[in-house]
Amino acid sequence: MRASTWTIVTVAMLIAPLVSAQTIQNPTLRRAQHAFDNLDYRQALTEGRAALRERLTGYERARAYELLGFTYSGMDSILRSVDAFKQVVLLEPERQLDPNRTSPKALSAFQVALTQVLVVRQLVIDSVTFIGGQGAVPLRYTVTQPARVVTRVIGGATSLRIDSTVANGQVNLRWQARTPGGDPLPAGNYTIVVDASVGQNSFSTSQPIRIAHGTVDTVAHLTSLPGYTYLPETEVPPKSWKPMGLALVYTGAALAGTSALSSGDLGKVSLREGAVIGTGVVVAGFVMMLKKPAPQPARGNILYNQLLREQIARRNTEIAQENTRRRQQVALTVAPAVRPTAGGVR
Amino acid sequence: MSRRFGGLAVSALGVLLTAQPLNRLTAQHFSIGPQIAFGDYKEVSADLHYRGGGIAAKASMSWKRFSADVVLSKLNYTPEGGTATADFEASEVDVRVRYYIAGPVSGELGFINRNTDPEFEAQSVGAAVIGARINYLLGPGVRVALNGGLLAGSKFSGGGSVSPLGAIQLGLGLTVDALRGRLQVTGDYGFQRLSRETDDGSGPASAPIQQSVGRMGLAIAF
Repeated sequence: MRASTWTIVTVAMLIAPLVSAQTIQNPTLRRAQHAFDNLDYRQALTEGRAALRERLTGYERARAYELLGFTYSGMDSILRSVDAFKQVVLLEPERQLDPNRTSPKALSAFQVALTQVLVVRQLVIDSVTFIGGQGAVPLRYTVTQPARVVTRVIGGATSLRIDSTVANGQVNLRWQARTPGGDPLPAGNYTIVVDASVGQNSFSTSQPIRIAHGTVDTVAHLTSLPGYTYLPETEVPPKSWKPMGLALVYTGAALAGTSALSSGDLGKVSLREGAVIGTGVVVAGFVMMLKKPAPQPARGNILYNQLLREQIARRNTEIAQENTRRRQQVALTVAPAVRPTAGGVR
Repeated sequence: MSRRFGGLAVSALGVLLTAQPLNRLTAQHFSIGPQIAFGDYKEVSADLHYRGGGIAAKASMSWKRFSADVVLSKLNYTPEGGTATADFEASEVDVRVRYYIAGPVSGELGFINRNTDPEFEAQSVGAAVIGARINYLLGPGVRVALNGGLLAGSKFSGGGSVSPLGAIQLGLGLTVDALRGRLQVTGDYGFQRLSRETDDGSGPASAPIQQSVGRMGLAIAF
């Protein structure tokens, strides 16, 4: 045989006992189930009681009591139905009846049974990752009777009390996964244990968890602020006749000044030189009037950009400080591990 | 002749003073280049009228709030009608140092020194310049300037004097940057009028001097 075939055979051999544990093997119980399916309640009661006197697995025993509970409710014997369902709850505290496939009478009897036994059900621990000291692990469970409930975490040499309260119904807790000294709980496998007690009755359930340590993500430095962009620090002013006008004014002032300041004794003043240079100035002014003006500094935009740069620098300084702090922190990942067999009456 | 050498020495000194710190003053702007010059000169009366042309060199620099121009020019003047018969050569040094005051206005100090050859064909002149200059940027790389002031303490080779407000100068300048500012096209106009008076013992006599010079050229900017 090939290796893959061996693998399949091995897996099948390992799974077989588990599958058989979740199926009804006992022939008496099978007959009881068959009688119930045929609405032969008396036969179902007889065979069910007989099956309970035989050697049954835990699963079969729970099914036998459940069958009795359904049968009694079908026969309107509610008290006996409740008693049978109480045994089901004690054997399988997490057992839930499907309301779409169960008669209302059986459902109400099951609910009454739940209130008459002390169990802690539906202990759920959500997977969560948080920075040590800044987050918490959500825990929730349901207590069927008012009871003193103590929640603990156990792992290796660690045994810490998480919570102690008198509760009934659903309880929600937030656990910071810290030691009494405030440090994050070391990485490893732990078990959350919930003990409920009232009078002589007590119940305990547990959920294994795994705590892993990791580095805290650091924040990237900013190069811009979302929604804010740098503005151009120069802007092109609109075209203007000012260059031409000023060229004319300057040239006119020079020529008029020459004419006005020349000595009357020397005859007619020569404006040739001034006119040549002045013509150059006027031509330059005319060209500049037609040309696109040079970009001018936009003071408002410069101040805005400066403010933006300062904001980004300030934020980056804060980010650097935050990253320094984060590098000293630890990211805790808490995840539920595979649950072992459910708890039971002590 | 010795006076002409004196003028050239002053000119050379002016150019050196302007150019020497170039390698250290990186923030400064410096330009230097040749120009062609043409002018009109009158002295004493309308009969002594000359016109001519020549060459010039202009160096400019600016550093922080200071700026300076040094212009060396040599024009050959030829009689333009009238009674004048001989040509003469006018060599002029014009040094101006300016300090930026506010807005477009700068204060200006400097001196001019014009020597003539032959020496007595026209008056050699030396004077300090006190004035102001207005600059305006017409557009990218195009600057125009208007300046004016007094020619204080004027001295003449033929003697004579000028009243405090009798010697004035006026100028118009244009600079156009080309080749990304590496080359400049320059144009300058300068007008001087000196209301000179002489007295040979028969009483004061008016002997005014008036010159208009235009210059156009190129300059390399550093």
